[in-house]
Amino acid sequence: MKRGGGAFLAGATSRLLPMSIPFRFFGAAIVFHLLAWLALLAGSSRLPRFAGGLDWPLAALHLVTLGVLVMTALGASLQLLPVATRQPVRSTRWPAAIWAVYTPGVAAVALGMGLGRPRWLGAGAVAVTLALLAWAALMAANLRGARGMPAVVMHGWAALGALAVMLVSALALAALYLGLPLLDRSTALALHIAFAAYGFMGLLAMGLSYILVPMFALSATPDERQAIASCALTVAALGLAALAAFGIAALPLRLAALALGASAVALHLHLMLAALRTGLRRALGRSFTLVRIGWTGLAASLLLALGVALDIDAASTSTLWVLVCIGGWLLSFLLGMLQRILPFLASMHVSRSGRRPPTPSALSAQRPLALHFAAHLAALAGLALAIVADSPALAALAAAVGTLGAVALAAFFLALWRRMHARPPKAPSAKPPVA
Amino acid sequence: MGVEPKRWRDAQGEHIDVRGLPPPQPLVAILRLVHEVQDDDGVVIVHHDRDPLLLYPQLAEIGWRAERLEADADTVLLRLERDP
Repeated sequence: MKRGGGAFLAGATSRLLPMSIPFRFFGAAIVFHLLAWLALLAGSSRLPRFAGGLDWPLAALHLVTLGVLVMTALGASLQLLPVATRQPVRSTRWPAAIWAVYTPGVAAVALGMGLGRPRWLGAGAVAVTLALLAWAALMAANLRGARGMPAVVMHGWAALGALAVMLVSALALAALYLGLPLLDRSTALALHIAFAAYGFMGLLAMGLSYILVPMFALSATPDERQAIASCALTVAALGLAALAAFGIAALPLRLAALALGASAVALHLHLMLAALRTGLRRALGRSFTLVRIGWTGLAASLLLALGVALDIDAASTSTLWVLVCIGGWLLSFLLGMLQRILPFLASMHVSRSGRRPPTPSALSAQRPLALHFAAHLAALAGLALAIVADSPALAALAAAVGTLGAVALAAFFLALWRRMHARPPKAPSAKPPVA
Repeated sequence: MGVEPKRWRDAQGEHIDVRGLPPPQPLVAILRLVHEVQDDDGVVIVHHDRDPLLLYPQLAEIGWRAERLEADADTVLLRLERDP
């Protein structure tokens, strides 16, 4: 018996969320990406020597981390994990509710930081925490039921553990601004930075890479034992960093954590590069150039972290570390993957309607992506120069270029959305194509 | 790749059985086989234990299509061929 596309896919749709749910996370990430560059522009005069405190550079940082990186990770994981772990979507209400609480929460955190309003920051932090706890519960249920993929599952659990530390330290930092000293500031800050960047976001990025990179490169699955070893080394490094944050043999433990972290990264990158080298699909385009730049940023961030630990030119090294780790690694990596994933998800969803799905490349507007690529890299390079040269003017120029890139990325997203909803050609009735 | 997918050939085309493999191994194995046979206008028959949602956009991208064939309740049987 031959069946048409709509009936064919209908049996499997229980593993797909309605299109509007993941795309509201991705759409919000696109908007927050633009707002992050605008916030950086607003705070560009203080950026080169920024040393913390409620100001626009801090707001820009959190618009990137919470607004772009975590927002995208939430949307992608809610959509991809049920497909990857072969489980039905348990609820559509919870993902929608998470977005509804998380999005204004991020906006409140950013505005509280940018405008110097601790109460807004506190309210936003509570909303973000509640939303992330609800997401963590959904994620944990999915990971518990997963079959196979031990390395991906281990990264998922480790990321959830890191999320807990990240949230506790974030709430402690927000409480300090409200006059509630729950934890020493330097301890909370050290925990927050390590467990947010290398823990929660880093482990999620590395874990999902073990699915996404072979999938796009058409390579064999990376060696599970080495991937698990990389995850274990990352967790051990985070453990040492946590002890150092509490002042226990701070310098030796930080150096040991960096050594373990460097080993974990070396193993991970070895597996990723081997997958790209042995994959059938070699021409992966600009999106994977961004991914490779992200991996370079990851390695470079560890060198800068060593500089911070050894207090080498601390004023600019720590700011450079933030730029290279968050902008160079995580943002470049994520935007590269997002440019690949969005057209695939869109094509997958369109095929649910029983019509011939448009190809992912037909859904991708290339000109905005080319402009974004150039602007993103120019902005990051400009910001690095501005920090080294202590130049607010260069920082402003770089932020303006970054804003242009964010507008281009938004144009790509809008074009994708329009093409998804374009009137479809009717599928022939005799033998409806599925793909 | 850990467990390898089973492959054989008969009058229907090139068969590949990816049941029991964790993601993304089925997707990768199927697409690698499609790449192997695409120059000969071959047909690929996929034996799967679930509907491979991520496969369809990848097939569409290279000008192939999938068609569901009748099979046991716990098997998804697909016929893949170049889109005419």
